[in-house]
Amino acid sequence: MKTQANRPTTLAAITDAEAARFLLRAKFGATDADIAAVKAQGYAGWLDAQVKSARGQSGAAWLDSQGHNAITKEAEYFNPTAGDFMIWNQLLAQPDEMRQRCAFSLSQFFVVSLNPIDGYWPPYIMAAWWNILLDEAFGNFRTLLERVTLNAGMGMYLNTKGNLKEDPKTGRAPDENYAREIMQLFTIGLYQLNPDGTEKKDTAGKPIETYVQADVTSLANVFTGYDHDMSRVKFLRVAWQNFPVVTAEFTSDPMRLEAKNHSSREVNFLGLTIPKGTPAPDQLKLALDHLFAHPNVGPFFCRQMIQRMVTSNPSPAYVKRVADVFADNGQGVRGDLKSVWRAILLDPEALAPADPGDSMSGKLREPVQRILSWARTVGVDPGDGKYKIYNLSREDTGIGQSPLRSASVFNFFRPGYVPPHTAIAKAGKQAPEFQITNETSVAGYINFLQTALRFGNWQFKPTYLALKPIAHDPAAVVDWFNLHLTANQLSPATVTLIATALASKGITPAGDDKDKLDMIASACLLVMSAPEYLVQK
Amino acid sequence: MTNIITTPVSRRAMLKRASEIAGMGAAAPLALNLASMGDAAAATAPGNDYKALVCVFLYGGNDHPNTLIPFDKMNHARYLGIRGGVSFQRKDLIPTALTPIQPQTLTDDLQYAFAPYLPRLKVLFDGGKLAPLLNVGSLITPVTRAQFDGSNRALYPLPPKLFSHNDQQTYWQALGSEGSTVGWGGRIGDYALSSNDQALLTCISASGNAVFVSGDKALQYQISPSGAIPVKGIKEAGYGSPQIMEALHQLITAQSKHAFENELTTIMRRSIEMEGIVNGALSKVSLNTNFDLVPGENSLADQLKIVARLIGARKELGSRRQIFFVSLDGFDHHSNLSQKHNELMSKVDEAVAAFYVATVEMGVQRDVTTFTASDFGRTLVNNGDGSDHGWGSHHFIIGGAVKGGRYYGTAPHVSATTDDQVGQGRLLPSTSIDQYAATLAHWFGVPDSEMATVLPNIGNFQGRNLGFL
Repeated sequence: MKTQANRPTTLAAITDAEAARFLLRAKFGATDADIAAVKAQGYAGWLDAQVKSARGQSGAAWLDSQGHNAITKEAEYFNPTAGDFMIWNQLLAQPDEMRQRCAFSLSQFFVVSLNPIDGYWPPYIMAAWWNILLDEAFGNFRTLLERVTLNAGMGMYLNTKGNLKEDPKTGRAPDENYAREIMQLFTIGLYQLNPDGTEKKDTAGKPIETYVQADVTSLANVFTGYDHDMSRVKFLRVAWQNFPVVTAEFTSDPMRLEAKNHSSREVNFLGLTIPKGTPAPDQLKLALDHLFAHPNVGPFFCRQMIQRMVTSNPSPAYVKRVADVFADNGQGVRGDLKSVWRAILLDPEALAPADPGDSMSGKLREPVQRILSWARTVGVDPGDGKYKIYNLSREDTGIGQSPLRSASVFNFFRPGYVPPHTAIAKAGKQAPEFQITNETSVAGYINFLQTALRFGNWQFKPTYLALKPIAHDPAAVVDWFNLHLTANQLSPATVTLIATALASKGITPAGDDKDKLDMIASACLLVMSAPEYLVQK
Repeated sequence: MTNIITTPVSRRAMLKRASEIAGMGAAAPLALNLASMGDAAAATAPGNDYKALVCVFLYGGNDHPNTLIPFDKMNHARYLGIRGGVSFQRKDLIPTALTPIQPQTLTDDLQYAFAPYLPRLKVLFDGGKLAPLLNVGSLITPVTRAQFDGSNRALYPLPPKLFSHNDQQTYWQALGSEGSTVGWGGRIGDYALSSNDQALLTCISASGNAVFVSGDKALQYQISPSGAIPVKGIKEAGYGSPQIMEALHQLITAQSKHAFENELTTIMRRSIEMEGIVNGALSKVSLNTNFDLVPGENSLADQLKIVARLIGARKELGSRRQIFFVSLDGFDHHSNLSQKHNELMSKVDEAVAAFYVATVEMGVQRDVTTFTASDFGRTLVNNGDGSDHGWGSHHFIIGGAVKGGRYYGTAPHVSATTDDQVGQGRLLPSTSIDQYAATLAHWFGVPDSEMATVLPNIGNFQGRNLGFL
């Protein structure tokens, strides 16, 4: 299909604000260099370059470089907190920023949370998980689905690790957790969908379920017999504890099949029969192929990714255009993710100028996205490079969200969340991010900003290098933030309000650094607190 | 009966006893029990026109078979046979075995014990302040096993997406599917808005956003464990200036034509307006009850403590009828059930018992009713070292007004084959959420004539007052 977005982009057609708008979706920050690159390469050319660009340092390599692999009597191998440091380092500092951004979106569809991960090496378990999302961010959905299924962390999170076949003597049944969630959350969802993401209806006008409990119970057999692969692991005797320290290879190796623990029963789910006694690897392949081929996967996955990147309420036509690309990238490949991102970001509905008359346009920026966008854009000095940024999930003292710290496999918020008592609800629209927005979080966020924007977070300090030279010019400072953080989405009235207030600081070109930073941080606080910024359009 | 609660000396003595109880292990004799304290203080101050419902939501689907456990020899043996490795031995249940105050005969002569990690709740049961409601769950209309297995959904509709976390959480809270915007706690709250000086303080979540406390008119007000959070930047200039402070205030509260922006500033205005009022009132509350009875963090205790403090501030705030929502995460025990469930039971025990003691301290134990809810019950059959998503479950109602020390509802067979379950011991509920809710709503003061508005399916069920209040 020929869309506006598929036409060669005229370079001159892209303004700074348009480039910033595109960048703030495709990745986190929008620096001057980024804006120049988009203008020079065009949207599509820029995307091609990102897909080809070099990978950053892996989470595991970074943990090693920081000494988090040390085996000492402090027993840091049990401590999860370096898992937070690892993911913040990845998101804030690694150069493959679009890949990181896409992986962050994927991490909200395929959810593993550090919260319950315990035992040996939780930071390395999360690093291996994150690495899979990065590896496959521009790869194929089917490959990703298999790696997700066999990942050590997912095995712990949704209990495929140690999942045993049925035992008629004791009455034990296979664990159904992964079988249920791979259908409900990771592939097809609860209800049959049209290619445009809307629900199919039966003759009575009711939605049609995709699966029933019997499908879950039978599919559960497929996921029996797996456990962490300890074949490369060393068991080290140490003086300070009376059981061996296990080395971390198991965290990144796919889970291993123990055939004797695998159910050989016939499997029947969603119309597929896998005969009794089919070898486990073949069974897994057949089951995942069957799920991957289900017509729901494209619209179900793509709509949520559009919600993460562009808008809470994409039109059915937009969903269909992206889902069509999921079904076939133009070269007969199903599930090609780099083509999906491209379709999402270059769709006419995404690139059309925001309609000022549309009171439901865009999406609420996620708290994590706000912090990343700020840090990636204003410049930060990482100090000692330890990235000691902790779990920020608390709404009163944090930002109400933290990467890889979802409270459950249902993500920080649900794609269909409707905030009660709102014009959004009355219009039948959705606003997922409002599920983590309330009287506490709105205040906690601004309080967090007030400290972080001026003084940073632990060792992590903003530099505002581009802003210090213009700090005496309030209008220029506001314009800078307006372009780089909001793609010029602040109204003239808001710009004036902020600039006028900033003038009260009376900064002169010769003023000292501290005063300039006070003024710049104040400007940033006002911009990042403004609803016109918070809603990304 | 002497009202000892009103004399400071007795109050201190009682708190001392409470802390002594808290220090005891599960096996220690709980002679100085919470329940007798409650009786001693039972005469609530006259003119104390106050009522609160407190929903304790156990996110993830609480494992009811290891919460209220078959204890008599025959049924315990059945439980052991079906559950295998994730069971409690009978000897470990002796300290928390329950004896109803009046003899009560249950299905198959069942006797139950609480999980060994619920010693304080056992004391409340013994004192008649706690009632278990057996096998309650999501239903649209009563269904039998045959009707469940049959295909006549027009006559025997089932709640949407049984066994799915998010959908059943929503059903428990709102009697509808995910995306519902009105919960039954909020609908009850709708009737109480005019009773309160601050209508916004009618429906309060100390947990995250929860549809339970959103009504047709009633809004959810959310509060943190440390109280309302002030926006510092509009109170002190800090590194900014008074003009910057004013601009910030204006920006974050101005109305907008964009619905998302406008909703943000609406929430912000509520936050700012209520913060001064709420924190001002909370600062005058002195609550001595210890919510930190066992080592370790307990977010449920933190939430119930702020609820207790808000109740303590009820006169200052002009609150007369309130609905609260608190929660604890992590109940989806597919694996390592024995260890993880025990840890969470301990937290529930600590938090709920401390909260009851706090209501006694404030003399409102007869005016505050706490009840549990959860996504669903779980399978009786084990899956290795955990259990799977189920349906019906057992829940607890706690408070001075509760006719406790006995069971309500119908005890299910301890079985994975009988008709009161639908496979692997997933209980087919014999009592509906609607009936559970109607009983609470009736106590709270919702007129019978309005019950069908609060609970649209209540008419499908025989008996809208289960009698536990």
